[in-house]
Amino acid sequence: MNTAGVGLGLGLALALQTTLVPLVAGPGVPVDLVLVVVVTVAIVSGPVAGLWTGTVGGLLQDTLSGGVVGVGGLAKTLVGYLAGLFGSQFNVARPRHQLLVFFGASLVHTVCFLGVYGLLSEGRLTSYSAELTQATANATIGVAVAVALQVGPGVLERRRLRRRDLTRRFGRLVR
Amino acid sequence: MIDFRRRTGAVLLAVVVGHVVLISAQVNTGSRVGVFEGMTFGLFSEVQRAFSRVAGSTVRIWDGYVGLISVRAENAALRENLAELQFRLQQERALAQRARGLEELLGLRQNIGFSTVSARVIAGDASPYFRTATIDRGSGDGVRRDSAVVSPDGVVGRVVGDPGLRAAKVQLLVDRSAAAGAIIERTRAAGLVTGDADERLVRMQYVSNLEDVQLGDIVVTSGVDGVYPKGFVIGEVELVDRGDGLYKMIHVRPKVEFNDLEDVLVIVREPAPSTLATGGE
Repeated sequence: MNTAGVGLGLGLALALQTTLVPLVAGPGVPVDLVLVVVVTVAIVSGPVAGLWTGTVGGLLQDTLSGGVVGVGGLAKTLVGYLAGLFGSQFNVARPRHQLLVFFGASLVHTVCFLGVYGLLSEGRLTSYSAELTQATANATIGVAVAVALQVGPGVLERRRLRRRDLTRRFGRLVR
Repeated sequence: MIDFRRRTGAVLLAVVVGHVVLISAQVNTGSRVGVFEGMTFGLFSEVQRAFSRVAGSTVRIWDGYVGLISVRAENAALRENLAELQFRLQQERALAQRARGLEELLGLRQNIGFSTVSARVIAGDASPYFRTATIDRGSGDGVRRDSAVVSPDGVVGRVVGDPGLRAAKVQLLVDRSAAAGAIIERTRAAGLVTGDADERLVRMQYVSNLEDVQLGDIVVTSGVDGVYPKGFVIGEVELVDRGDGLYKMIHVRPKVEFNDLEDVLVIVREPAPSTLATGGE
């Protein structure tokens, strides 16, 4: 996954998170699309890419959000690194394994994020059910994105080959 | 040869330390990372504006077609409501006229001429843990930090951070860090309304157990916080209980429907405080 692709993914995730998601499902909806991009990059490209994507994505999200700048960055940096490390040590090619990684990563992110706010004495209490809902939603969307990234290039390649084959066979007739 | 694992660990450590320093700087000084934040917010608000326009038109077209199915029944119900409201309006007008007359008599009439600018909500919060919204008006329109934001239903929130030229970030009243000075309209019992973990409700704190508060009481802004003008509706008391300590536990349902927020008013200039008739004490 190249840098431009990751940047585009983060930008798209932020834009969708702030505009489309509140419009369709109402604001405060428990989905973190930036986290989905961070974990996807970490699984595909390893811990270093996950770490930097987490840092940049988290800091951008913090600046556009209402909290202390750096808390989300720190949480996503750690999650990106850990998810990348996990992905490089174990085989997480299957969707059900990816589901577990996304779910676990969301929970780790929540613990880090709320833990830092707890240390800052901002008293950000939250309900367990809300966090589990968010982790489930993130995991579902994350697996869908990961599967699309795995299957997408193959589908495009097959379509290109089929078109080339058809052109070879019937190209003269069409002309 | 460089040990890749050790180097990755060093990068992680450096980045984590960097974040901790950044957080500590803000917590210790109480300031924000103004330049970085301002640049990112200014740039990204333009992207949000474009996205919001496209997404908004798509949803509006969809809603327009699907909404036609139930429009007839809704129309009849709305007509009924309108007739009832017009009747109530007549009553309220009569009451208002009477109150105005009394105010004039007392010499306490204020000039309630707020300067406002209307704004459209173009984006929500980037994180699921906060409740802020981005509006399409900024410093170029007179919007400042801590400008109060209201809607016809009541208080929406306040502008946080330095607004961009064409956009500003608004902390909604339901955000867990939000607060506003408030009073119970009926009894004038004062307290502080704060956001809650349950984002559909807000809490009213520091109201003494000795005060008379009932379900359905209207909560309005007290004006003591220096952000929200006095007398704007916050919501209605939905739960009231005797607290453990000195204060009651009160939950308030906001009048504003924060999930469907589209157009708001930003108060850019409050009227000068009325000069009360000065007399010997």
